[in-house]
Amino acid sequence: MNYFALTIIGRDHPGIVAKVTETLFHLGCNIADSSCTILGGQFAMILILSNPGMHDQKDFETTFAPLEADGLSVFLRKLQPGGETAPEIEGEICMISVYGSDKPGIVYPVAKELGDRQINITDLNTKLVGSAQNPVYVMMIEAVLPAGLDIEELSSVLNRLKKDLQVDISVRTITPVEL
Amino acid sequence: MAVKDILLYPHPMLKVVCTPVEQLDDEVDALIQDLIDTMVAAGHSVGVAAPQIGITRRVVVADVSHSKLGRNANHGLLTMINPAIIEQEGCTLSREGCMSVPDYTGNVTRAESVVVQFLDRDGSKRVIHANGFEAIALQHEIDHLDGLLFLDRVSSLKTDLFRRKKR
Repeated sequence: MNYFALTIIGRDHPGIVAKVTETLFHLGCNIADSSCTILGGQFAMILILSNPGMHDQKDFETTFAPLEADGLSVFLRKLQPGGETAPEIEGEICMISVYGSDKPGIVYPVAKELGDRQINITDLNTKLVGSAQNPVYVMMIEAVLPAGLDIEELSSVLNRLKKDLQVDISVRTITPVEL
Repeated sequence: MAVKDILLYPHPMLKVVCTPVEQLDDEVDALIQDLIDTMVAAGHSVGVAAPQIGITRRVVVADVSHSKLGRNANHGLLTMINPAIIEQEGCTLSREGCMSVPDYTGNVTRAESVVVQFLDRDGSKRVIHANGFEAIALQHEIDHLDGLLFLDRVSSLKTDLFRRKKR
């Protein structure tokens, strides 16, 4: 089975998902994992597709032209074999909230501290909120801590950042419970 | 007496409204033992409902005393026949998973504390007040008796951290 990553973005309006999935259905594509949301005024779709009949990006030819004509930007890429399976990430899950008056350079310093410690970001959302006079930046990160790194250590790193960046940061663990 | 296989969704028995137990007999006692054995064998499990082992009767077992989250507030091993939540209070969010729905978790809102009425294994009528993780576990297990999975209770997308509100 061949897997493809499909990204579609366009001005949000009702009916985008219906139009996109109609196209995919007629192509015989299976939607495996997907995540779609509104970002700014745009509706952004990211989908992992499989299709037994499609071997190559070229097989899709001009299938997406009508979507493009509707104002959607469509990007398709073939996944390397095995690219559809998520790696097993073992470790403590934590949630990191970062927020403060908007300024350049909030995301990168936080992400760098995490990346330097092999902390795997599994979800990241940012949003600009507040008023035009007082814009507030909010970033929510879900991440998996590597073995040997505990949440206290991460907290102390982020506390240092908090002072440097003049933003508020808090960390807590999420314990998924299997019942 | 026996460790049973946990049924996985889409097994139809997981979506059945289970029937109340009319009388405590050897069969019910054996079912309770199977549920306990299955729960213990699953190691990490804090509760099993009868439909999860293929018996659509209103019986659950739960024990959160061995888990980190429930260690400090629990009633030990609970064996519940015909359990009913008669009061509930508060609201708490946790990320739940289920042995019958592997590889998926979701944020579920549940009551923070519940009062549960049930018949115990020995036939005695009991009412307990459960808090915290034990309350969550009991609500989850009792849901199984009504054919409800945590998937029916997911309150927000994991990634939906910014609630969209009307201005």
